Amino acid sequence: MNHALRRNLVPVMLCVLWVALLGTLAATHAWILSPRTLTSVLQFATILSLAAMGMGLVVIAGGAGIDLSVGGTISLSAVLGMMGLGAGLPGYWLPMVCLGCGVMLGLFNGLLVTRLGILPLIVTLGTFYLFSGLALALTGGGAIAGVPDWAVGWGRARWGALPMPFITVVLPAFVLLSGLMALTSWGRWIVAMGDNERAARLAGLPVDRVRLMLYALSGALAGLGGFISLAWLGSARPNIGVNVELEALTAVLLGGVAITGGRGGLVGVVSAALLVVMLRTALLQIGINTVWQTGAIGALLVVALLVNRFSNSRG
Amino acid sequence: MAQLPALVDGVERLTDMMQAPPDAFVQARGIGKRFGALTALRDVDIDIRAGEVLALLGDNGAGKTTFVKVLAGAHVPSDGTLRIGGDTVRFASPRDAADHGVATIYQELALSENLKVAENIFLGHELVRPVLGVPFLDRAAMRARVRVLLGELDAHIPDIEAPVGSLSGGQRQAVAIARALNLDARLIIMDEPTAALAVAETRKVLNLTRRLAESGRAVVIVSHNIADVFEVADRMIVFRRGRKIAERKRAETDPDEIVALITGAHPDARVADQP
Repeated sequence: MNHALRRNLVPVMLCVLWVALLGTLAATHAWILSPRTLTSVLQFATILSLAAMGMGLVVIAGGAGIDLSVGGTISLSAVLGMMGLGAGLPGYWLPMVCLGCGVMLGLFNGLLVTRLGILPLIVTLGTFYLFSGLALALTGGGAIAGVPDWAVGWGRARWGALPMPFITVVLPAFVLLSGLMALTSWGRWIVAMGDNERAARLAGLPVDRVRLMLYALSGALAGLGGFISLAWLGSARPNIGVNVELEALTAVLLGGVAITGGRGGLVGVVSAALLVVMLRTALLQIGINTVWQTGAIGALLVVALLVNRFSNSRG
Repeated sequence: MAQLPALVDGVERLTDMMQAPPDAFVQARGIGKRFGALTALRDVDIDIRAGEVLALLGDNGAGKTTFVKVLAGAHVPSDGTLRIGGDTVRFASPRDAADHGVATIYQELALSENLKVAENIFLGHELVRPVLGVPFLDRAAMRARVRVLLGELDAHIPDIEAPVGSLSGGQRQAVAIARALNLDARLIIMDEPTAALAVAETRKVLNLTRRLAESGRAVVIVSHNIADVFEVADRMIVFRRGRKIAERKRAETDPDEIVALITGAHPDARVADQP
């Protein structure tokens, strides 16, 4: 296979999938391609994009990095945010509480990974159960209502067809993080440590500290996702983060991030996240059972892994 | 009695000066390294002078790599003292060593294949223009500096925007050396610099090595290739079973003697074979 094509196999596949999906919809269900669908896709993609960007950076930084706990972090930080209000915190603290909880949960992952040297897969699988279990236990499975009006107003507002949370949180986060990756030393360090961790350590890079920061960042983005879920739905639901880790991982791999680290970027990750949501939304609107939607995402994940495997060999 | 510590310090300095010519950039004394019950390095004294190429030889497991790792800050020695440029140092990490002007070029060339030439050369020491504490890369300045460094080494890398993964072995060696030069290294340690290279590239790397020494830097090379060592080194030190068993100037020895020392056939090598 051609070298350039091989290196860029995943981005090429992502473009092909986009064209195929939009083409198929245009040919068979053209009514789906409307501004309303755009709004709904972006609305659903908001939380996923945040989680996928965090997961993406964790994976790019290598060391078998992965953050399976993002879904649990979203649920738990939303629940803790509302419980904070219930305990008497003023309403305008809500975003800060959610964000802070996310950071703490992410730091917890990062400390287990960097200080104790436990495999990230095992750590975050454990904390995934821990966080989502706690979210369920604290609420008894029910939703906590009472999100302040200003938050709900913002969470449901739109600018044209574009949902406000997407414009005011996802876009700035995307621009900021892409800029950090492309224009700063930190971005080079993240790629370098994922590419060749030994070289990075010998070059004197603070590998463990950067990795800890990235888990904290992943947690922070998930915490923001938790706040957005509150503002959008108007209540804290302990199951809001269910399956987000699966979809985020799919977006990360489909977006061209090498599962072994050192390669990939956020443009791919976010456009893959949008593709995942677009696919799910289309299946929903066509009327295909939700059970099959998760299956379709899983199939996409397997395909992404296969293509990853083929483009990974440095030939 | 307040003068006593100063006096002791003075005497120590005096004895150090008597032990080594004042120009030795690195003075290692009684260096030992144990890993649990295993003694990898025992009571090693070595001087390394600026402007010379010193070769470390020995069989696998003889201790030369362990010694180099002590110099490079990758291992903390169990015994002994290390003086670099007149200061007694105790390296806790490769970064400490780099701060004292020690750069190591590893056998497996510790480069990131997906990063560009300039990004590798500057990894961890990027030229930046901080904005609110965020280190924004100054790519133009880094590219200009890379051209100067590669020019100084007379190394030809056609596309410095290419990822290092696409370069040849000799070109990678040049990138690694340029990295050391950029860090203003005064001691450059090269671990098997010619191991994976074709003949023409080996020539270039040996020339580079001489050039580094002629520019006033101290160079240590670890190699199994006796022919390369005799071509480039001013002095050779042979390790066996964790000890330094011989030190020879190039003019005073020949490959046969060195091989005999390495393999243990030489009488001097027996020292290390006693339990």
